[in-house]
Amino acid sequence: MTITFEMSGGFAPLPALSSPVTIDTAQIEPQARTELESLVELCRFFDQPALTTPAKGAADYRTYTITVQDGPRVHTIQLTDPITDINVEQFVSRLRVMARKMTP
Amino acid sequence: MNHTYHHTRQLWACDIIPPYILERIASRGTQTQRAIALQTLARDNSIRSQRAVQSQVRSGELETAGPARKNRLVYAAANTTNLHGTLVRSEGQGPSGDVAVNEAYNGFGVTFDLYWDVYARNSIDNNGMDLVGTVHYGDRYDNAFWDGAQMVFGDGDGTIFNRFTIAIDVIGHELTHGVTAATAGIEYHDQPGALNESVSDVFGSLVKQRSLGQRADEADWLIGAGLFAAGFRGVGLRSMKAPGTAYDDPLIGRVPQPDHMSRYVNTTSDQGGVHTNSGIPNRAFYLIAIAIGGNSWDLAGNIWYRTLLDSRLSTAAQFQDFANLTAYNANLLYGASAEAVVVQAWHEVGIDVLELVGLNLSNAP
Repeated sequence: MTITFEMSGGFAPLPALSSPVTIDTAQIEPQARTELESLVELCRFFDQPALTTPAKGAADYRTYTITVQDGPRVHTIQLTDPITDINVEQFVSRLRVMARKMTP
Repeated sequence: MNHTYHHTRQLWACDIIPPYILERIASRGTQTQRAIALQTLARDNSIRSQRAVQSQVRSGELETAGPARKNRLVYAAANTTNLHGTLVRSEGQGPSGDVAVNEAYNGFGVTFDLYWDVYARNSIDNNGMDLVGTVHYGDRYDNAFWDGAQMVFGDGDGTIFNRFTIAIDVIGHELTHGVTAATAGIEYHDQPGALNESVSDVFGSLVKQRSLGQRADEADWLIGAGLFAAGFRGVGLRSMKAPGTAYDDPLIGRVPQPDHMSRYVNTTSDQGGVHTNSGIPNRAFYLIAIAIGGNSWDLAGNIWYRTLLDSRLSTAAQFQDFANLTAYNANLLYGASAEAVVVQAWHEVGIDVLELVGLNLSNAP
Protein backbone atom coordinates (compact mmCIF):
# COMPACT_ATOMS: atom_id res chain seq x y z
CA MET A 1 0.00 0.00 0.00
CA THR A 2 1.27 3.48 -0.81
CA ILE A 3 -0.06 6.60 0.84
CA THR A 4 0.62 10.11 -0.47
CA PHE A 5 -0.06 12.95 1.94
CA GLU A 6 0.00 16.69 1.31
CA MET A 7 -0.91 19.47 3.72
CA SER A 8 -1.32 23.12 2.79
CA GLY A 9 -2.73 26.33 4.21
CA GLY A 10 -3.31 27.20 7.84
CA PHE A 11 -2.57 30.43 9.69
CA ALA A 12 1.13 29.66 9.56
CA PRO A 13 1.82 27.86 6.29
CA LEU A 14 5.47 26.95 5.80
CA PRO A 15 5.99 26.14 2.11
CA ALA A 16 9.16 24.16 2.77
CA LEU A 17 7.16 21.72 4.90
CA SER A 18 4.19 21.49 2.54
CA SER A 19 5.62 19.19 -0.11
CA PRO A 20 3.76 15.89 -0.62
CA VAL A 21 5.28 12.84 1.05
CA THR A 22 4.74 9.24 -0.05
CA ILE A 23 4.82 6.32 2.35
CA ASP A 24 5.22 2.81 0.99
CA THR A 25 4.02 0.60 3.82
CA ALA A 26 6.25 -2.22 2.53
CA GLN A 27 9.25 -0.07 3.34
CA ILE A 28 8.47 0.92 6.94
CA GLU A 29 8.59 -0.79 10.33
CA PRO A 30 6.07 -3.65 10.63
CA GLN A 31 4.35 -2.00 13.58
CA ALA A 32 3.89 1.28 11.69
CA ARG A 33 2.73 -0.65 8.63
CA THR A 34 0.08 -2.48 10.62
CA GLU A 35 -1.03 0.74 12.26
CA LEU A 36 -1.41 2.65 8.99
CA GLU A 37 -3.18 -0.15 7.15
CA SER A 38 -5.56 -0.55 10.10
CA LEU A 39 -6.32 3.17 10.08
CA VAL A 40 -7.13 3.01 6.36
CA GLU A 41 -9.60 0.21 7.03
CA LEU A 42 -11.02 1.76 10.18
CA CYS A 43 -11.84 5.07 8.50
CA ARG A 44 -13.26 3.29 5.43
CA PHE A 45 -10.94 5.38 3.34
CA PHE A 46 -12.12 4.07 -0.02
CA ASP A 47 -15.72 5.01 0.85
CA GLN A 48 -14.87 8.55 1.91
CA PRO A 49 -16.09 11.40 -0.33
CA ALA A 50 -13.47 12.81 -2.66
CA LEU A 51 -14.04 16.37 -1.51
CA THR A 52 -15.14 17.84 1.80
CA THR A 53 -15.55 21.60 1.72
CA PRO A 54 -15.08 23.93 4.70
CA ALA A 55 -17.93 25.78 6.37
CA LYS A 56 -18.98 29.13 4.91
CA GLY A 57 -16.73 31.92 6.11
CA ALA A 58 -14.10 29.56 7.53
CA ALA A 59 -10.46 30.64 7.28
CA ASP A 60 -6.95 29.55 8.17
CA TYR A 61 -8.00 25.90 8.06
CA ARG A 62 -5.55 23.37 6.71
CA THR A 63 -6.29 21.38 3.59
CA TYR A 64 -5.22 17.74 3.43
CA THR A 65 -4.94 15.76 0.21
CA ILE A 66 -4.49 12.02 0.65
CA THR A 67 -4.16 9.31 -1.99
CA VAL A 68 -4.10 5.63 -1.07
CA GLN A 69 -3.22 2.93 -3.57
CA ASP A 70 -3.84 -0.61 -2.45
CA GLY A 71 -3.43 -3.08 -5.30
CA PRO A 72 -5.94 -2.12 -7.99
CA ARG A 73 -7.78 0.29 -5.69
CA VAL A 74 -6.82 3.97 -5.81
CA HIS A 75 -8.70 6.76 -4.10
CA THR A 76 -7.94 10.43 -3.37
CA ILE A 77 -9.69 12.59 -0.81
CA GLN A 78 -9.32 16.27 0.03
CA LEU A 79 -10.61 17.61 3.30
CA THR A 80 -10.12 20.52 5.70
CA ASP A 81 -10.02 21.21 9.42
CA PRO A 82 -11.91 20.55 11.59
CA ILE A 83 -12.28 16.88 10.64
CA THR A 84 -15.46 15.61 12.22
CA ASP A 85 -15.06 11.88 11.49
CA ILE A 86 -12.93 10.72 14.41
CA ASN A 87 -11.44 7.79 12.48
CA VAL A 88 -10.44 9.96 9.54
CA GLU A 89 -9.03 12.52 11.96
CA GLN A 90 -6.94 9.82 13.62
CA PHE A 91 -5.56 8.75 10.24
CA VAL A 92 -4.75 12.35 9.25
CA SER A 93 -3.16 13.07 12.61
CA ARG A 94 -0.89 10.03 12.26
CA LEU A 95 0.07 11.00 8.72
CA ARG A 96 0.78 14.56 9.83
CA VAL A 97 3.27 13.38 12.43
CA MET A 98 4.92 10.93 10.01
CA ALA A 99 5.14 13.55 7.26
CA ARG A 100 6.76 16.00 9.65
CA LYS A 101 9.51 13.44 10.37
CA MET A 102 10.08 12.88 6.65
CA THR A 103 10.55 16.56 5.75
CA PRO A 104 13.76 18.48 6.44
CA MET B 1 -13.70 56.33 -18.32
CA ASN B 2 -11.51 55.68 -15.29
CA HIS B 3 -9.15 58.24 -13.89
CA THR B 4 -6.07 57.56 -11.83
CA TYR B 5 -5.16 60.02 -9.15
CA HIS B 6 -2.17 62.29 -9.10
CA HIS B 7 0.19 61.43 -6.29
CA THR B 8 1.28 64.88 -5.31
CA ARG B 9 -1.49 65.93 -2.95
CA GLN B 10 -0.42 67.32 0.37
CA LEU B 11 -1.63 66.13 3.74
CA TRP B 12 -3.37 68.78 5.81
CA ALA B 13 -3.37 67.56 9.36
CA CYS B 14 -6.43 69.58 10.36
CA ASP B 15 -8.54 67.55 7.92
CA ILE B 16 -7.87 64.28 9.65
CA ILE B 17 -8.18 65.11 13.33
CA PRO B 18 -11.17 63.11 14.57
CA PRO B 19 -14.10 65.10 15.98
CA TYR B 20 -13.66 63.85 19.54
CA ILE B 21 -10.15 65.31 19.69
CA LEU B 22 -11.39 68.58 18.22
CA GLU B 23 -14.15 68.65 20.82
CA ARG B 24 -11.61 68.08 23.56
CA ILE B 25 -9.46 70.95 22.25
CA ALA B 26 -12.55 73.12 21.95
CA SER B 27 -13.34 72.59 25.62
CA ARG B 28 -9.85 72.47 27.15
CA GLY B 29 -7.44 74.25 24.80
CA THR B 30 -6.10 77.78 24.87
CA GLN B 31 -8.31 80.56 23.53
CA THR B 32 -6.66 80.40 20.09
CA GLN B 33 -6.77 76.61 19.99
CA ARG B 34 -10.42 76.63 20.97
CA ALA B 35 -11.30 79.08 18.23
CA ILE B 36 -9.57 77.04 15.55
CA ALA B 37 -11.06 73.79 16.83
CA LEU B 38 -14.57 75.24 16.85
CA GLN B 39 -14.19 76.57 13.31
CA THR B 40 -12.93 73.19 12.14
CA LEU B 41 -15.76 71.37 13.89
CA ALA B 42 -18.35 73.64 12.31
CA ARG B 43 -16.90 73.09 8.87
CA ASP B 44 -16.55 69.34 9.49
CA ASN B 45 -20.17 68.99 10.60
CA SER B 46 -21.30 70.58 7.37
CA ILE B 47 -19.08 68.28 5.31
CA ARG B 48 -20.10 65.20 7.29
CA SER B 49 -23.78 65.97 6.71
CA GLN B 50 -23.13 65.97 2.99
CA ARG B 51 -21.02 62.82 3.21
CA ALA B 52 -23.68 60.90 5.11
CA VAL B 53 -25.81 61.09 2.01
CA GLN B 54 -23.04 59.49 -0.02
CA SER B 55 -22.34 56.71 2.48
CA GLN B 56 -22.54 53.22 1.02
CA VAL B 57 -22.49 51.27 4.27
CA ARG B 58 -24.37 47.98 4.25
CA SER B 59 -27.84 48.23 5.71
CA GLY B 60 -27.90 48.09 9.48
CA GLU B 61 -24.13 47.87 9.94
CA LEU B 62 -23.72 51.21 11.68
CA GLU B 63 -26.56 50.61 14.11
CA THR B 64 -25.72 48.29 16.97
CA ALA B 65 -28.35 45.78 18.00
CA GLY B 66 -28.83 46.33 21.71
CA PRO B 67 -26.22 47.11 24.36
CA ALA B 68 -22.65 45.81 24.17
CA ARG B 69 -22.61 42.09 24.86
CA LYS B 70 -19.24 40.52 25.59
CA ASN B 71 -19.72 36.82 26.29
CA ARG B 72 -16.54 34.75 26.17
CA LEU B 73 -16.55 30.96 26.33
CA VAL B 74 -13.21 29.12 26.29
CA TYR B 75 -13.15 25.35 25.92
CA ALA B 76 -10.21 22.95 26.26
CA ALA B 77 -9.96 20.01 23.86
CA ALA B 78 -7.28 18.15 25.87
CA ASN B 79 -5.30 17.51 22.67
CA THR B 80 -8.24 15.89 20.91
CA THR B 81 -10.26 17.47 18.11
CA ASN B 82 -13.40 17.74 20.22
CA LEU B 83 -14.19 21.45 19.96
CA HIS B 84 -16.42 21.47 23.04
CA GLY B 85 -14.43 19.17 25.29
CA THR B 86 -14.53 21.06 28.59
CA LEU B 87 -15.79 24.59 29.21
CA VAL B 88 -12.92 26.00 31.29
CA ARG B 89 -13.66 29.70 31.53
CA SER B 90 -16.78 31.68 30.75
CA GLU B 91 -17.58 35.37 30.95
CA GLY B 92 -16.84 36.93 34.31
CA GLN B 93 -14.97 33.96 35.76
CA GLY B 94 -11.51 34.50 37.22
CA PRO B 95 -8.28 33.24 35.67
CA SER B 96 -7.80 29.54 35.20
CA GLY B 97 -4.51 27.78 35.93
CA ASP B 98 -4.13 27.21 32.21
CA VAL B 99 -2.15 29.92 30.44
CA ALA B 100 -3.65 29.17 27.01
CA VAL B 101 -7.17 29.51 28.40
CA ASN B 102 -6.34 32.86 29.97
CA GLU B 103 -4.60 34.14 26.84
CA ALA B 104 -7.63 33.22 24.73
CA TYR B 105 -10.06 34.79 27.22
CA ASN B 106 -8.05 38.00 27.49
CA GLY B 107 -7.40 38.12 23.74
CA PHE B 108 -11.11 37.80 22.99
CA GLY B 109 -11.71 40.61 25.47
CA VAL B 110 -9.31 43.15 23.97
CA THR B 111 -10.48 42.26 20.47
CA PHE B 112 -14.10 42.80 21.45
CA ASP B 113 -13.08 46.10 23.08
CA LEU B 114 -11.34 47.35 19.92
CA TYR B 115 -14.42 46.68 17.81
CA TRP B 116 -16.83 48.10 20.38
CA ASP B 117 -14.90 51.08 21.73
CA VAL B 118 -13.50 52.30 18.42
CA TYR B 119 -15.93 51.11 15.75
CA ALA B 120 -19.11 50.62 17.85
CA ARG B 121 -19.36 47.04 16.59
CA ASN B 122 -21.23 44.74 18.97
CA SER B 123 -19.14 41.54 18.66
CA ILE B 124 -18.54 39.49 15.53
CA ASP B 125 -22.03 39.80 14.06
CA ASN B 126 -22.76 43.28 15.50
CA ASN B 127 -25.47 41.59 17.53
CA GLY B 128 -23.57 40.38 20.59
CA MET B 129 -22.52 36.98 19.23
CA ASP B 130 -20.76 34.72 21.75
CA LEU B 131 -16.96 34.67 21.45
CA VAL B 132 -16.21 30.97 21.49
CA GLY B 133 -12.75 29.44 21.38
CA THR B 134 -11.13 26.06 21.88
CA VAL B 135 -7.54 25.68 23.07
CA HIS B 136 -5.28 22.60 23.19
CA TYR B 137 -6.82 21.42 19.92
CA GLY B 138 -5.28 18.31 18.37
CA ASP B 139 -1.96 16.58 18.85
CA ARG B 140 0.98 19.00 18.56
CA TYR B 141 -1.25 20.96 16.22
CA ASP B 142 0.62 23.80 14.48
CA ASN B 143 -2.27 26.04 13.63
CA ALA B 144 -5.09 28.36 14.61
CA PHE B 145 -8.25 28.75 12.55
CA TRP B 146 -11.76 30.15 12.33
CA ASP B 147 -14.18 27.32 11.55
CA GLY B 148 -17.05 29.57 10.51
CA ALA B 149 -18.48 29.80 14.02
CA GLN B 150 -15.62 29.85 16.51
CA MET B 151 -11.85 30.14 17.01
CA VAL B 152 -9.55 27.13 17.42
CA PHE B 153 -5.97 27.11 18.72
CA GLY B 154 -3.34 24.37 18.70
CA ASP B 155 -0.45 23.98 21.14
CA GLY B 156 2.22 23.90 18.44
CA ASP B 157 4.76 21.13 18.08
CA GLY B 158 7.24 22.78 20.46
CA THR B 159 9.96 22.47 17.82
CA ILE B 160 8.95 25.16 15.35
CA PHE B 161 5.85 26.65 16.93
CA ASN B 162 4.76 27.56 20.45
CA ARG B 163 1.09 27.62 21.42
CA PHE B 164 -0.97 29.80 19.09
CA THR B 165 -2.59 31.87 21.84
CA ILE B 166 0.81 33.32 22.74
CA ALA B 167 0.43 36.20 20.26
CA ILE B 168 -2.58 38.43 20.87
CA ASP B 169 -2.65 39.51 17.22
CA VAL B 170 -3.33 35.89 16.24
CA ILE B 171 -6.47 35.99 18.36
CA GLY B 172 -7.53 39.32 16.83
CA HIS B 173 -6.76 37.89 13.40
CA GLU B 174 -9.01 34.85 13.86
CA LEU B 175 -11.89 36.80 15.36
CA THR B 176 -11.68 39.25 12.46
CA HIS B 177 -12.28 36.39 10.03
CA GLY B 178 -15.67 36.16 11.71
CA VAL B 179 -16.24 39.89 11.23
CA THR B 180 -15.29 39.65 7.55
CA ALA B 181 -17.63 36.70 7.08
CA ALA B 182 -20.44 38.66 8.76
CA THR B 183 -19.88 41.76 6.61
CA ALA B 184 -18.25 41.68 3.18
CA GLY B 185 -18.03 37.88 3.07
CA ILE B 186 -14.87 38.04 0.98
CA GLU B 187 -14.11 34.68 -0.64
CA TYR B 188 -11.22 32.64 0.70
CA HIS B 189 -9.10 31.89 -2.33
CA ASP B 190 -6.65 33.65 -4.64
CA GLN B 191 -6.63 37.46 -4.55
CA PRO B 192 -9.91 37.89 -2.64
CA GLY B 193 -8.57 35.37 -0.13
CA ALA B 194 -5.33 37.33 0.24
CA LEU B 195 -7.42 40.44 0.86
CA ASN B 196 -9.46 38.54 3.45
CA GLU B 197 -6.20 37.46 5.12
CA SER B 198 -4.83 40.99 5.04
CA VAL B 199 -7.95 42.41 6.71
CA SER B 200 -7.40 39.91 9.52
CA ASP B 201 -3.72 40.82 9.81
CA VAL B 202 -4.62 44.52 9.92
CA PHE B 203 -7.14 44.23 12.74
CA GLY B 204 -5.02 41.62 14.51
CA SER B 205 -2.18 44.12 14.55
CA LEU B 206 -4.52 46.90 15.72
CA VAL B 207 -5.67 44.71 18.61
CA LYS B 208 -2.04 44.29 19.65
CA GLN B 209 -1.11 47.94 19.18
CA ARG B 210 -4.11 49.16 21.16
CA SER B 211 -3.51 46.65 23.96
CA LEU B 212 0.07 47.93 24.24
CA GLY B 213 -0.89 51.60 23.84
CA GLN B 214 1.45 51.96 20.88
CA ARG B 215 1.33 54.63 18.20
CA ALA B 216 1.91 53.60 14.58
CA ASP B 217 5.58 54.52 14.74
CA GLU B 218 6.10 52.54 17.96
CA ALA B 219 4.55 49.27 16.78
CA ASP B 220 6.57 46.32 15.47
CA TRP B 221 3.95 45.55 12.78
CA LEU B 222 4.68 41.84 13.18
CA ILE B 223 2.09 39.09 13.01
CA GLY B 224 2.84 36.15 15.26
CA ALA B 225 5.77 37.55 17.26
CA GLY B 226 6.63 34.93 19.89
CA LEU B 227 5.02 32.15 17.91
CA PHE B 228 8.28 30.53 16.88
CA ALA B 229 9.96 28.21 19.35
CA ALA B 230 13.38 29.07 20.75
CA GLY B 231 16.28 28.73 18.34
CA PHE B 232 14.25 29.43 15.28
CA ARG B 233 15.49 32.27 13.09
CA GLY B 234 12.50 34.53 12.85
CA VAL B 235 10.95 37.49 14.66
CA GLY B 236 7.43 36.51 13.67
CA LEU B 237 5.37 34.95 10.95
CA ARG B 238 4.74 38.03 8.83
CA SER B 239 5.87 41.64 8.79
CA MET B 240 3.36 44.23 7.59
CA LYS B 241 6.10 46.83 7.50
CA ALA B 242 8.50 44.76 5.41
CA PRO B 243 6.70 41.74 3.94
CA GLY B 244 9.07 38.88 3.16
CA THR B 245 11.50 39.53 6.02
CA ALA B 246 9.91 38.08 9.17
CA TYR B 247 11.80 34.79 9.12
CA ASP B 248 14.73 33.26 7.30
CA ASP B 249 15.71 29.89 8.72
CA PRO B 250 17.87 27.05 7.36
CA LEU B 251 15.06 24.55 7.98
CA ILE B 252 12.15 26.25 6.26
CA GLY B 253 13.71 29.07 4.27
CA ARG B 254 12.47 32.62 3.94
CA VAL B 255 8.91 33.89 4.25
CA PRO B 256 7.58 34.17 0.68
CA GLN B 257 5.51 37.36 1.03
CA PRO B 258 5.70 40.07 -1.67
CA ASP B 259 5.56 43.78 -0.85
CA HIS B 260 4.56 45.00 -4.32
CA MET B 261 2.20 43.93 -7.12
CA SER B 262 5.15 43.39 -9.45
CA ARG B 263 6.15 40.48 -7.20
CA TYR B 264 2.64 38.97 -6.87
CA VAL B 265 2.95 35.19 -6.46
CA ASN B 266 0.76 32.97 -8.63
CA THR B 267 0.32 29.64 -6.89
CA THR B 268 -2.33 27.01 -6.24
CA SER B 269 -0.97 26.18 -2.78
CA ASP B 270 -2.57 27.69 0.33
CA GLN B 271 -5.89 28.43 -1.43
CA GLY B 272 -3.98 30.38 -4.05
CA GLY B 273 -1.40 32.05 -1.84
CA VAL B 274 -3.78 33.78 0.55
CA HIS B 275 -1.09 34.08 3.24
CA THR B 276 1.50 35.09 0.67
CA ASN B 277 0.02 37.93 -1.37
CA SER B 278 -1.60 39.45 1.71
CA GLY B 279 1.78 41.17 2.11
CA ILE B 280 0.78 43.72 -0.53
CA PRO B 281 -2.34 45.22 1.14
CA ASN B 282 -0.67 44.72 4.53
CA ARG B 283 2.10 47.09 3.51
CA ALA B 284 -0.37 49.58 2.06
CA PHE B 285 -2.11 49.76 5.42
CA TYR B 286 1.19 50.17 7.24
CA LEU B 287 2.19 53.06 4.96
CA ILE B 288 -1.14 54.81 5.54
CA ALA B 289 -0.97 54.39 9.30
CA ILE B 290 2.57 55.75 9.43
CA ALA B 291 1.75 58.70 7.14
CA ILE B 292 -1.28 59.67 9.21
CA GLY B 293 0.52 59.07 12.51
CA GLY B 294 -0.93 58.63 15.98
CA ASN B 295 -2.96 55.55 16.83
CA SER B 296 -3.38 53.27 13.82
CA TRP B 297 -6.77 52.05 15.02
CA ASP B 298 -8.29 55.51 14.90
CA LEU B 299 -8.17 56.93 11.38
CA ALA B 300 -6.44 54.24 9.31
CA GLY B 301 -8.34 51.50 11.11
CA ASN B 302 -11.65 53.28 10.64
CA ILE B 303 -11.03 53.70 6.90
CA TRP B 304 -10.43 49.95 6.64
CA TYR B 305 -13.42 49.12 8.82
CA ARG B 306 -15.79 51.36 6.88
CA THR B 307 -14.52 49.84 3.64
CA LEU B 308 -15.30 46.39 4.99
CA LEU B 309 -18.87 47.60 5.55
CA ASP B 310 -19.14 49.23 2.13
CA SER B 311 -21.91 47.58 0.15
CA ARG B 312 -19.88 47.92 -3.05
CA LEU B 313 -17.15 45.61 -1.72
CA SER B 314 -18.02 42.36 -3.44
CA THR B 315 -17.28 38.85 -2.25
CA ALA B 316 -14.85 38.50 -5.16
CA ALA B 317 -13.08 41.80 -4.49
CA GLN B 318 -9.58 42.28 -5.85
CA PHE B 319 -6.90 44.49 -4.29
CA GLN B 320 -7.79 47.18 -6.83
CA ASP B 321 -11.44 47.22 -5.72
CA PHE B 322 -10.47 47.47 -2.08
CA ALA B 323 -7.94 50.23 -2.81
CA ASN B 324 -10.56 52.26 -4.70
CA LEU B 325 -13.02 51.96 -1.82
CA THR B 326 -10.47 52.82 0.86
CA ALA B 327 -9.69 56.06 -1.00
CA TYR B 328 -13.40 56.82 -1.31
CA ASN B 329 -14.03 56.15 2.37
CA ALA B 330 -10.96 58.09 3.45
CA ASN B 331 -12.37 61.11 1.67
CA LEU B 332 -15.83 60.49 3.05
CA LEU B 333 -14.59 60.24 6.61
CA TYR B 334 -11.64 62.59 6.79
CA GLY B 335 -11.41 64.63 3.61
CA ALA B 336 -9.19 64.98 0.57
CA SER B 337 -5.88 65.00 2.41
CA ALA B 338 -6.57 61.61 4.00
CA GLU B 339 -7.65 60.32 0.62
CA ALA B 340 -4.35 61.49 -0.85
CA VAL B 341 -2.42 59.55 1.79
CA VAL B 342 -4.37 56.40 0.94
CA VAL B 343 -3.86 56.86 -2.79
CA GLN B 344 -0.12 57.36 -2.34
CA ALA B 345 0.25 54.25 -0.16
CA TRP B 346 -1.50 52.02 -2.69
CA HIS B 347 0.64 53.53 -5.43
CA GLU B 348 3.76 52.55 -3.49
CA VAL B 349 2.68 48.90 -3.52
CA GLY B 350 1.88 48.99 -7.22
CA ILE B 351 -1.83 49.75 -7.27
CA ASP B 352 -3.09 53.03 -8.75
CA VAL B 353 -6.44 53.93 -7.27
CA LEU B 354 -9.27 54.63 -9.67
CA GLU B 355 -11.79 57.33 -8.86
CA LEU B 356 -15.15 55.74 -8.14
CA VAL B 357 -17.25 58.52 -9.64
CA GLY B 358 -18.42 57.30 -13.02
CA LEU B 359 -17.12 53.78 -12.52
CA ASN B 360 -19.36 50.94 -13.57
CA LEU B 361 -19.58 49.02 -10.31
CA SER B 362 -20.77 45.75 -11.76
CA ASN B 363 -20.75 44.04 -8.40
CA ALA B 364 -22.75 46.67 -6.60
CA PRO B 365 -26.08 45.36 -5.27
